[in-house]
Amino acid sequence: MSGVRTERYVEEARRGIADPVLRRALSGLQERFGRGTAEAYRRLPEGPGLRQTAHAIREKAIANLDLLLERLAARIRGNGGEVFFAATAAEAVSYGAEVARRRGVKLAVKGKSMVTEEIGLNPVLAAQGVEVVETDLGEYIIQLAGETPSHIIAPAIHKTRNEVAELFVQKLGIPHTTDPPRLTHAARRALREKFLAADLGISGVNLACAETGHISTVSNEGNIRMATTLPRVHIAFMGMERVVARLDEYEILLRLLCRGASVQDIGTYVSFIGGPRRPEETDGPEEFHLVVVDNGRSRMLADPRFREMLSCIRCAACLNVCPVYGRIGGHAYGFAYSGPVGAVVTPLLTGVRRGRDLCLGETLCGACKDACSMDIDLPRMLLELRALLAAGDASWGVEPTGGLEGRAWKLWAGLVSHPGLYEGLLRAAALLQRLLPHGGAGWIRRLPPPFSGWTQSRDFPPVARETFRARWAKRRQEAGRG
Amino acid sequence: MTGKKAVTLFVPCLVDAFRPEAAEAVVAVFERLGVAVGYPEGQTCCGQPAFNAGYRDEARRAARRFLRLFAAAEAVVCPSGSCVAMVRHHYPALFEEEPDWRELARRTAARTFEFTEYLVDVLGAEDLGASFAGRVTYHDSCHLLRGLGVRLQPRRLLRRVKGLEFVEMKNADCCCGFGGAFSVKYPDISTALVADKIAWIQESGAEAVVGGDLGCLLNIEGALRRRGLPIRALHIAQVLAGERFSREGARP
Amino acid sequence: MAEGRGERLFFETLRRALGRPPQATRPAEDLFPQEPSAQDLRLLAAVSGRSEREREELVARLFAAAAPLHLQVEAVAGFASAREIVLRLVAEKTPEWGGEKQLVAWRHPLIEGLGLTEPLARQGIPLWITHPLDPGLAPEAAAEERRRQRSRIAASFIGVTTADFCLAETATVVLRSRPGEPRSVALLPSIHIALVRRGQILADMKELFALLRWEERFRGEGLSPYLSFISGPSKTADIEATMVHGAHGPREMYLLILPDETPDAPHGRPAQTPSSPEAGAA
Repeated sequence: MSGVRTERYVEEARRGIADPVLRRALSGLQERFGRGTAEAYRRLPEGPGLRQTAHAIREKAIANLDLLLERLAARIRGNGGEVFFAATAAEAVSYGAEVARRRGVKLAVKGKSMVTEEIGLNPVLAAQGVEVVETDLGEYIIQLAGETPSHIIAPAIHKTRNEVAELFVQKLGIPHTTDPPRLTHAARRALREKFLAADLGISGVNLACAETGHISTVSNEGNIRMATTLPRVHIAFMGMERVVARLDEYEILLRLLCRGASVQDIGTYVSFIGGPRRPEETDGPEEFHLVVVDNGRSRMLADPRFREMLSCIRCAACLNVCPVYGRIGGHAYGFAYSGPVGAVVTPLLTGVRRGRDLCLGETLCGACKDACSMDIDLPRMLLELRALLAAGDASWGVEPTGGLEGRAWKLWAGLVSHPGLYEGLLRAAALLQRLLPHGGAGWIRRLPPPFSGWTQSRDFPPVARETFRARWAKRRQEAGRG
Repeated sequence: MTGKKAVTLFVPCLVDAFRPEAAEAVVAVFERLGVAVGYPEGQTCCGQPAFNAGYRDEARRAARRFLRLFAAAEAVVCPSGSCVAMVRHHYPALFEEEPDWRELARRTAARTFEFTEYLVDVLGAEDLGASFAGRVTYHDSCHLLRGLGVRLQPRRLLRRVKGLEFVEMKNADCCCGFGGAFSVKYPDISTALVADKIAWIQESGAEAVVGGDLGCLLNIEGALRRRGLPIRALHIAQVLAGERFSREGARP
Repeated sequence: MAEGRGERLFFETLRRALGRPPQATRPAEDLFPQEPSAQDLRLLAAVSGRSEREREELVARLFAAAAPLHLQVEAVAGFASAREIVLRLVAEKTPEWGGEKQLVAWRHPLIEGLGLTEPLARQGIPLWITHPLDPGLAPEAAAEERRRQRSRIAASFIGVTTADFCLAETATVVLRSRPGEPRSVALLPSIHIALVRRGQILADMKELFALLRWEERFRGEGLSPYLSFISGPSKTADIEATMVHGAHGPREMYLLILPDETPDAPHGRPAQTPSSPEAGAA
């Protein structure tokens, strides 16, 4: 997989924090959606408990994934569609590229799809001379700017209207305006031409239903409906886990998806696609391909610690409540998936050791779990990833962390097991801390490494001259004497 | 309530070392309520720091020690949401493969309570006869709120304190950026979080911010002090036990 | 595409990950029930036994759900008032992409009932009626016909369709694609007008899916191969979170609800409604 930059988490996070425009945009986003999502769950006729129902539906689907995928594929093939099962990103991309080559595709229009970001489809198509146009307005903006998405649902959240204005003047040749309706209209006009001229439509899949043999896509803009209706070929890429058995189960997931993604009861356009158009139809694609992508998912499936992650339907509700995401933005996560979902799924897909800062760089505050439309325990999996890093894990190709850090924790474990030693150390610290620069009430101004991170922006509390343990002992003595 | 209650106190390592008066305040509150307080000596840490860092063997060592010490306790009460969440949620998982320990972990988990949770839900006590002069806001620590579901209890207790004017801050439930080792390893992110928290506390007009987890409070107070702001960060026990425990001079 | 070696390996890996024998598959009947559940039967009964008052309530719910979505809903007394609304829109609105005013509409009895042809012809405004492709057409001729229909749809500023169902809860119109009823009529024109009978209004997706799964009349056709839910005009908030209508799809949408009986219908043919199966046979 190309374009993985997880090792730059700290650096990119710092950059995100320093960007006031991004911070404002993110806090606006979180204020609008963060609270709203919880409220939307509460307003469900079944109550917020529907998330647990959905969790059970997803668990059952994942446990029967082979059967569901077989059924889905059989139905689509029965309708004249084609289904390709790709073990790796490379296989998925080359299948798509081959279809494009065979059909002489010059121009492809794309609906927002995280999995195509994950597998790196665009550069390969571009290399064979296909112009690939992102059509979600946010994605279009960042494609024009030569950037990558920073939010699953709101990819251009980091762009201001002024930046968009500059970009459109430059790339679309429109007169300068910062008015969102006018800017939107300029993109609408430019993209309409692309939609009408495109040979290939590429989409992701929000959810598929095995029983009926449909994939479905959800959008507010209508770009996915355009991209899957107008070109003569449609290729849909789907992470292999995005399937559910029955339509009644699908109904529950769709309602939660729309609430989790954007606090809506339903997205403006929900399309169910089960194959190419029929011969007497005058529109719709004449070829329909579904590419089902494994690319590391079977490894998560095989590991009971991480199987739960496959229940995720990428609604992005966790991004909208995560305090860390809200400060650092999506680019820090260094891959297609950002926020809490990215912190878990990216290391698992692209390398745990490499993505260690994603595993460790969260506060475990648990807001993501409460916001998750599928009630996934993301903090639990962050903890599992941390344990995997510390102890190493051959099945994930991860060496134990060891080194100074490993020894320090062993030392710690020894200390907390020997209260006498532990108390002695606290006393020593209480004495030695006077040597450090301190301010009011003895609060320490500067700690030496590796603790200096704390005092970068905060004073550090002094160890009490007498711990509670000591005070209690004294009290008992006094009581004994009295 | 029938029969005299007895609690066994677990004092989190941070309270023990950095704010012993908060634990003394807990003792004072229970004594005022006529609840017997026990404190097994030799307690250190619940193991949470190692667990959160991924060092499970090390965390298990601390956990075994905890479980042994508190095996006989009728009720373990601890003035920290995150330590209780550790015992309640993570201990049973840590010993998944050791049936005897797992059983003990489950039993202990069911008998371990956070301080305000125990006061309100078990003892049914809300008015503790405390007084505190000033405007106070409450910070929901993550594990107390989302880990244990404790939100109303501390607020109820605070509203009954004489002289205390309770104000809600914006985003009281948003993480303060402490996160244990996170605050040291990822200082930029941690700082960004605590900076917002401080701004919300200031906006509330509170003279003191109160919470149930000392980690958060030290993080918040450290940032308040660095900025030279005259807002205090107090453990809720310090407020509930009476002014003697919340005065700056309470420190030895 | 034939199921090749790659696909076999894919499923072997998958089954191994699931802890199953890699080659074994098993019957999946338990996952895909052949009979409606008690819940499904309740939903079907709710649809077929809906009283007049309940239907009125559904209309009210539809109105309430539509308002925040900018979906304009009108309950009209009959074809004449529906026609009036369409003609008023034709007169008031200007084509977004310039050019002459043109309309495109599905060939459908409900739309024919509007009687638009004559008044539009008087104004010199073209009304394109879509039609299915003749299966006997040679490939080039078929391609040419498709191109012609598409360019007419793209050139029209108003597209008129019916819908299979309406969902009150979410103000959703449900369109199944059929030959002669192209998907793009509800997509390319700047204004989409959808016509439904009141009896086509269901409460929500649950009822819809119960009908599609278990009601004989709908089961055959199922959802295949294309079905879409449309809940209001196209919209985006991608630029500084400012809501703008008309991102790619229609920027305005109107839903006209006709009563189940329309005495002014030219053909006098009531619509096929899910709640009155006998009407479909009429």
